[in-house]
Amino acid sequence: MEGLLAGNDDAIRTLYGRFGRPVFSLGLRLLGTREAAEELTQDVFVMAWRKAARFDPTRGRLSTWLMTIAHNLAVDRLRRETGVSRPTLVLVDEVPDAPGVDEETLLIERDAAMRALASLNTADRQLIARAYFRGLTAREISEADGIPLGTVKTRLRAAMIKVRKANEGKELM
Amino acid sequence: MNCAGVRDQLTEHALGVLSVRDAATVERHLQWCAACRKEAGDLQRATAVLAFSPAPAEVPAELQDLVVARVRSVAGVRTAPPAPRRARLAVAAVAAAVVAVSGLGWGAVMAGRAARFEARADVATMQQRTAIEEFQRLVRSAEFSDPADKVYIGRLLPAQGAGGGGAAMTLVSPSIIDLAIVMVNGVPPERWSTLPFTVHLTAASGARLKVGRIDALDSGGADTISREFNRDLSLFDRVVVVDAQGRVVMSGPLATKADVASPSP
Repeated sequence: MEGLLAGNDDAIRTLYGRFGRPVFSLGLRLLGTREAAEELTQDVFVMAWRKAARFDPTRGRLSTWLMTIAHNLAVDRLRRETGVSRPTLVLVDEVPDAPGVDEETLLIERDAAMRALASLNTADRQLIARAYFRGLTAREISEADGIPLGTVKTRLRAAMIKVRKANEGKELM
Repeated sequence: MNCAGVRDQLTEHALGVLSVRDAATVERHLQWCAACRKEAGDLQRATAVLAFSPAPAEVPAELQDLVVARVRSVAGVRTAPPAPRRARLAVAAVAAAVVAVSGLGWGAVMAGRAARFEARADVATMQQRTAIEEFQRLVRSAEFSDPADKVYIGRLLPAQGAGGGGAAMTLVSPSIIDLAIVMVNGVPPERWSTLPFTVHLTAASGARLKVGRIDALDSGGADTISREFNRDLSLFDRVVVVDAQGRVVMSGPLATKADVASPSP
């Protein structure tokens, strides 16, 4: 983090080497185009530099911190940019796998994510995907589906806790 | 807000879909409430799991260098000169020309001559002409000597009641990287509250590419942005600038250089 704060070339490349691909992949999934994902990736690492001094490793993992920055920036952009098509809703377990790559850590993370999501039923998986990958609020989901707001919130929370429990003890970074 | 109210919003906070105001309220509460902070942490870790679920995408090879350059730039570290590839040289030439245009058209001219023009529209038109002339001069330079290179230039005209205008250029080349440069100017101060502007290239098919965002304008209501693209821009024949609410501020077609006439003084 000190290296990142100083704008140290190696430190930035190390951080990018670990998280560049998942950040880009998340951006592509949320924003729908490679150009937007490229811009998002750059913005995420600039934001990481701006916030590096505030990162506290005793309060959370680096991956959680960085991917939260990525997701927040992407959702902000989705909501800000009028006319940007929101990504087509695809259930996460329907996303085709990319060919094997030399990034074992990323693959392990993804495997853990897929297993955690597999612990949910289809409806709950879809519910989480609509909030997380399309940036829909509980109220927007409630109004779209004609379900009481409280029910949507309860289901979302229960599904998130289930994902958390399914992933317990499998965290890497 | 009490703990019950905050916990009602923690899931959406973790999912990143709360409004800025609600998120700020939740975060203020989390600063002093350890119990809610623990719950927020659990939900945040669940969100981090979701972040890794998209299929790993193929990342553009040049993205790492772009990220490093952006961070070093923001950190105030001088970046090493780019590799002397032809593409980089061409882009550097364009960038230098744009800077020159910026200095001439929108710095010195605004400061030195603006007082002699009573109408802002006259200044804007003059600046657009300067930009288009600079683009055309650039096209004739050695960097763009490949006969297969195509350059498209156009004027941007304001939407009704919007004011301002601009000029734009795209380079489509089989041998070097494609790029777009867009200048806006003469945007009246009453429109500055609608910033940021977003600049897009559009194609007849409806496809759209973002060139960039304009967060601020100089005292002449002007700014210039450029972007390199790793894709063929030949089908993108129009530039559209929209404000923060998505309303069109100005737009215009891009035509081959021979078809572009400088605006009348």
